[in-house]
Amino acid sequence: MFEVALKALLILIYGTLVGFLFMGIVRKVSARIQRRVGPPLYQPILDTIKLLSKESNITHGRIYDFGVVFALGATILALFFIPLANVSLLRSYGDLILISFLLEIPMLGIMFAAMSSGNPWAGLGAQRALLTLLAIQVPLGFAIVALGEFYGTFSTYGIVMAQQNSGWSIIHPSLLLAAIAYDIVLQAMFGKEPFDIMIAPGEISLGPMVEFGGKHMGLLQIQHAIALFAETLFFSNIFLGGGVVSAFASPVLNAVASLGILLIKQLAVLMVAIFIGSIFPRFTIDQAAKFYWKWPTIIAALGAILASL
Amino acid sequence: MNELLIIIFAPLIAGVLAWWLDVRGIREILGVAGPAVSLSYLVKLYTTIDSGGFVNYTVNLGGFSFNFALTQLSWIFGMIAGVIGLAAALGMASTSKSGYEWLFALMSLTGVLGVFLSYDLLAFFIFWEIMTFGSFMMVLRYNRSASLKYFVLSVIGAYAMLLAIGLIYARVGSFSFVDVYRAFAQDAALGVAGGSTVFSTFDMAAIFGLLLVAFGVKAGLFPLHVWAPDAYSETNQSYTAMFSGVLSKAGVYGFIILYMLMGYRLVSALGTFRGVPSFGYLIAFLGGLTIIVGGLLAALQEDIRKLFAYSSISQVGYVLVAVGVGSALSMEAGVYHAISHALFKGLFFLVVAAIVHRTGKTEFKDMGGLAEKMPVTFAMAFVAILSLAGIPPMVGFASKWLIFEAVISQNLPILGGMVFFGSAIGFVYLIRFTYAVWFGQRPTDLEDTRDAPLPLAIGMGILALLNVVFGIAPGLVAGELNKIIGKEVIGGTIWELDIGVGRYNGLLLTVWLIVGLLIAAIIYFLGAKARRVPVTDTYQSGNPVTMEYNLTIRRDFFRPLREALSFWLGISFDDLYRDVAKATEEFADILRRYVYNGNAQSYAWYLGIILLILAIWGV
Repeated sequence: MFEVALKALLILIYGTLVGFLFMGIVRKVSARIQRRVGPPLYQPILDTIKLLSKESNITHGRIYDFGVVFALGATILALFFIPLANVSLLRSYGDLILISFLLEIPMLGIMFAAMSSGNPWAGLGAQRALLTLLAIQVPLGFAIVALGEFYGTFSTYGIVMAQQNSGWSIIHPSLLLAAIAYDIVLQAMFGKEPFDIMIAPGEISLGPMVEFGGKHMGLLQIQHAIALFAETLFFSNIFLGGGVVSAFASPVLNAVASLGILLIKQLAVLMVAIFIGSIFPRFTIDQAAKFYWKWPTIIAALGAILASL
Repeated sequence: MNELLIIIFAPLIAGVLAWWLDVRGIREILGVAGPAVSLSYLVKLYTTIDSGGFVNYTVNLGGFSFNFALTQLSWIFGMIAGVIGLAAALGMASTSKSGYEWLFALMSLTGVLGVFLSYDLLAFFIFWEIMTFGSFMMVLRYNRSASLKYFVLSVIGAYAMLLAIGLIYARVGSFSFVDVYRAFAQDAALGVAGGSTVFSTFDMAAIFGLLLVAFGVKAGLFPLHVWAPDAYSETNQSYTAMFSGVLSKAGVYGFIILYMLMGYRLVSALGTFRGVPSFGYLIAFLGGLTIIVGGLLAALQEDIRKLFAYSSISQVGYVLVAVGVGSALSMEAGVYHAISHALFKGLFFLVVAAIVHRTGKTEFKDMGGLAEKMPVTFAMAFVAILSLAGIPPMVGFASKWLIFEAVISQNLPILGGMVFFGSAIGFVYLIRFTYAVWFGQRPTDLEDTRDAPLPLAIGMGILALLNVVFGIAPGLVAGELNKIIGKEVIGGTIWELDIGVGRYNGLLLTVWLIVGLLIAAIIYFLGAKARRVPVTDTYQSGNPVTMEYNLTIRRDFFRPLREALSFWLGISFDDLYRDVAKATEEFADILRRYVYNGNAQSYAWYLGIILLILAIWGV
């Protein structure tokens, strides 16, 4: 019992810190791309601490508070179910479909909180977020289907272990197609350009986030950090071979090495997203829907059909 | 009197009494007692069913013998009818105004219980008609054209079924499920062995086609779904909890019966596709289209009742996908989703009933900010939203998860993709409902709205509780489902589902969700206290806002979606059927003008032509 609690706490702290580091890297790298110096890597942590320690907060009612808490709680839940190399907590229940659902649930909390504020920009942002969700679900679904059919199991840890034996998922043509589609989907899941339609700074005043301030915004910053960590982790697990190292005799050394390897893979996923995000301007929402229902869907469906043969 | 007959006829008797006495107070008690009696007898018979028993009863009437039997499968469907029927009756106790509604609502419940419990084709058909008639009369009270549309399509379905039953009876010589099953099984064996079969391939295709129409109409299978949005919305919304929750399951039950009675013969006649019976794949594929079409149209509705009507169609599509695929696992997954659909959709329609009852409005443009005025109803709606959108740990997730895994592990990628799309679109239209009804600015005429009346709240409470309990302990349902197949298809404990390729533990998930929420709550409460501000104290590009501004987007919320789909929305089956109906009417008119033209000479000519035909025939 105590051991489980300790493990959960360690995973949570590690995930949050790495998530904040990722947020810092996003800002730093996009700064360098534009020939700026950019803020230090720990800047998002400072921002969050500042937000959480605001002296006056406002609320629009109980749902407004609950939605934010729910978003963070659901993100933490998702984090626990994704296998994290050798140290994961609930990896035998880390079902592929369960996790892809769990990664969407925080959105419900954010929507609830944003909408209960009654702000029209928040309503507009919610509409765009939902249509983005609807658009990405088609290629995402096919990518998950391809994985399920290729490996014949839905256990994410099972897929990680299968990759230890037969090489990374992306070396198989059918799963490479699925990975490409999933990577395009990730761009929208991260909320990066050209699919940052939901937030759309400068266009609709941050959309769902427009009314949040103080500790509500601070909670959502933490949520964003953990979600960033969880999404890159999930992608690395299913497509990039996970990273379970058992070369050393000591389990601690094994854990550290595998976390290191995973971190590199997660960074690689993040870098691709930053590079794409830095050079593409934003799509409008109907363009995004039409885009996702065309190329990524075709690619992923092809992958799924190939995997099922 | 036999227990099975009590289960079937208790609602009807209660309904007739309620209509006859028609005293406010007494009719409500009678009406609720009807489904309660059926439910309690079903619960009482559980021990018999549980020990592998089988209750049957035969009535001889008018030269026919009608068989009734309570099997594991019909017990499960009967329980759906009993529970949802009771909840809907509690809702009707608050929202119905006349004995008329009680009579026909309970008549349709009797019909559907009879469909689930009958064990021969003739009884099945008769109760099917009672069910259709009762629900037709319920819709007729509110809207004539919607009811006629429902009636005409139902009649087409019913007569297609009658033709199929006639075809079967002509060859088998019996209506009994047992005899029919035996005849088809024998025929299948003969067909495989290369002998001459009683049913030809064409016969099988015809029987299947006719039954597809018959059950498809009731289940709302695309493209036969057009009656549902009108019929579900133009009636007492408490009744719709039963209409959508239970009556649509009759179609699903029909498809399962189809599989059980003639599955082997249909496979041997029509072959398989990718390891799935090709007739089943057709049902599943149409089910997949139903999910997509129903879901997209639900997102574009402007009326709360219509939104849920389309959503109901969409969710039944899931059940049909699972039932169509037809492996033991997917069959169980389909029945599981039928149960969870009944639970959450029954709850949703009761919520809608409460809103319509208290505000008298049905369109999104007139509503908003009701969460503060109707907190109990909102809490119930919240449970239903989580359940329908497939959020763990609600029952909706457990059953959808089973469908996903059952379909994908059968190597059916296209169906898998369709099912995935359905889950996203479910999310999308529910948030639209949440936003427009519960949140944001409240129109001034809704200031004195009160919360749901007590009987309605009790009905909602029963369903909400079951949504949560079956979600946290999904094994409770799975255990019963395993008994249909007779072996452990879905393993695990009462908290856990284990299907070999994947595992899902409802309790574990709940515990960790609570842990996550606690952590989040601690961070939240560590911060400074929040000050409550009114809805007008908001960011509007830096401008001051008063209540005269409309801050909530209430009309055409998903306009970009409508524009992205403009081509597909131009193709409407509703219009097609309307055109066919109009053409039929015109044809009848032409017939009237030319044949019955009132000219004595032309009637003499008809006589001459008939005599000529007889002469050529050589009579």
